[in-house]
Amino acid sequence: MSNALRDGLRKKVERLRTLPSSPAVLQPLLELLRLAPDSIDLRKVVELVSYDKTIAAQCLRIANSPLYGRARATESIKAAVLSLGIQRVEDILLTCCLHKFSSGAKWAGDPLVFWRHSLGCAAVCRELALRIEFREPEKAYLAGLLHDLGVLVNSLAYPDEYSKVIAEAQAKGVPLVEQEMKDLGFTHCESGSILGASWKLPKSINEAIAFHHNVEKAPPDNPLVALVHIGDLLCRLAGLGYGYEEWRSVELAADPAWEELAKHCPRLKKMDLARFTMDLEAIVPGVQALVEAVFTSKPEHSAVETLC
Amino acid sequence: MSGAVLDATQTAPSAKDDSQDPAYLRIRDLVYRTCGIYHADEKLYLLVAACKRRMASKQVKLDSGREYLELLTGPVFKETETRELLNEITIGETCLFRSRPQLNALHNVILPELVAERSKTGSRELKLWSAGCSTGEEPYTLAMFLLEEKEALLQGWEFAIAATDLNDHSIETARAGIYGDYALRNTPENYKRKYFSPAEGGKLQVNNEVKAKIRFSRLNLNDESRVLFMKNMDLIFCCNVLIYFDLVSKRRVVQHFFSKLMPNGCLFLGHAESLYQVNDQFRLVHLPGTTVYRKVVAAPGKDGGA
Repeated sequence: MSNALRDGLRKKVERLRTLPSSPAVLQPLLELLRLAPDSIDLRKVVELVSYDKTIAAQCLRIANSPLYGRARATESIKAAVLSLGIQRVEDILLTCCLHKFSSGAKWAGDPLVFWRHSLGCAAVCRELALRIEFREPEKAYLAGLLHDLGVLVNSLAYPDEYSKVIAEAQAKGVPLVEQEMKDLGFTHCESGSILGASWKLPKSINEAIAFHHNVEKAPPDNPLVALVHIGDLLCRLAGLGYGYEEWRSVELAADPAWEELAKHCPRLKKMDLARFTMDLEAIVPGVQALVEAVFTSKPEHSAVETLC
Repeated sequence: MSGAVLDATQTAPSAKDDSQDPAYLRIRDLVYRTCGIYHADEKLYLLVAACKRRMASKQVKLDSGREYLELLTGPVFKETETRELLNEITIGETCLFRSRPQLNALHNVILPELVAERSKTGSRELKLWSAGCSTGEEPYTLAMFLLEEKEALLQGWEFAIAATDLNDHSIETARAGIYGDYALRNTPENYKRKYFSPAEGGKLQVNNEVKAKIRFSRLNLNDESRVLFMKNMDLIFCCNVLIYFDLVSKRRVVQHFFSKLMPNGCLFLGHAESLYQVNDQFRLVHLPGTTVYRKVVAAPGKDGGA
């Protein structure tokens, strides 16, 4: 990517920030996530959720959705947080933050496809992290959720050009990243990491955003990059990809990311990968249900405007 | 012999109690030695039920497990009755066009790769093996699928399918190639019109054009001398068969598959099956919605990319 191109992209991203802006609760939320699960203060979570009316409404709706099989309607934020559990609330919060960021913008491609892929990748990364005893499964979830942030950036910054890129990749059945490089000269990895840096995302997560398609170029000692790379592939092979099948065969054990991840998590080489792949099928309906619950209603623009 | 083992509803009510009968434990060992199928304690009732169905049959008519064991080990009926018992154990349930993801992966990735690779050596022929073909659903599906490919990617190519099963009744049924609505529930209409003719009772019979592509035979995967005849395979399908074997037999059978495959040939297993701790020579390859095992001998595959 040339310097001129990078500068142009950076300016575009800067301008984006003045539009729907980074959601106000994102920073405190990320700080909360860095704490050990048992030291997270429930009141803090309720406070964060209540701070943003759009997000609060989303949480209530999800808490009351059939996905969680609730018998009685939850009316207070506190009850919603209690019934969902902190873990689930954090997932929802992050999702809503991203949703809020993207709402009201012209989309290139189908937004539901993007959300299914992002949430699917998050879930797959966490499953994989747990299976191979990666130290921070929640960070794996977050990195999976945000790994394609650049797709959002490209959609918002270059709606017309990017629609064509997506359509072309779909028609040819090739990975999006290849078509981006060909048509734009840069990929969602670069644009995503520019926005990630301005959001002050943790370094390890921003590296996963920047290098998940290019693991060999990633800074050393960040297994999150390799983990997201593999989670992304597994997610796309499980049918939660870019909305089309990429017809190719992938030998994960021959992928450089595999060795890299195994260096940090030796259990990777001892796991039953075929079985794990099959188990992932069970994740798909849950992800689809969550996406339906969060994204199929119109965003509340008034609330977004007052809070941003 | 693909599909489920016997349905629990077929189990005679007393079968569970008879699991303690030492005769059935000896029959279990006998079955294991003959074909590698092992009934662990929690599955023993299935074996007892199969024995009881044989014991109640017109040819046998025996009451106790001990007597049946004598029949199975005695000089006169040893071979025939063992074969009948194995038939009883391996009755399967399946249908045509059972695994769409496998066929899609074949169509979009595996076949194009194979054709490109084999073309380099000037070969224009593909050899497939349906190992544990049950009543023929899998090999017929493959034959029809490849006949369709002959009009596109496989123009000018030939293919042959070896279809084997331990169960001779299954092989007989497979040769006849007559299927009802249930077995045909996943079969696309255009295939029904093109490759089948009406048979008795509203059933459909596979046309000779399809049958000509398949050679059916009885084969015990555990019998090394017979397995020797299968060689130079491009693709092997062994779906929901290995579940019947214990680890030692699984390893041996899968090792056979490996040696029978051409370089870069593929082994397809059933949906829930894995070679984890069974074989580490095969390479697991991911495709959309499915996985296959490839015999890689050349340089390792490229980066998964993207």
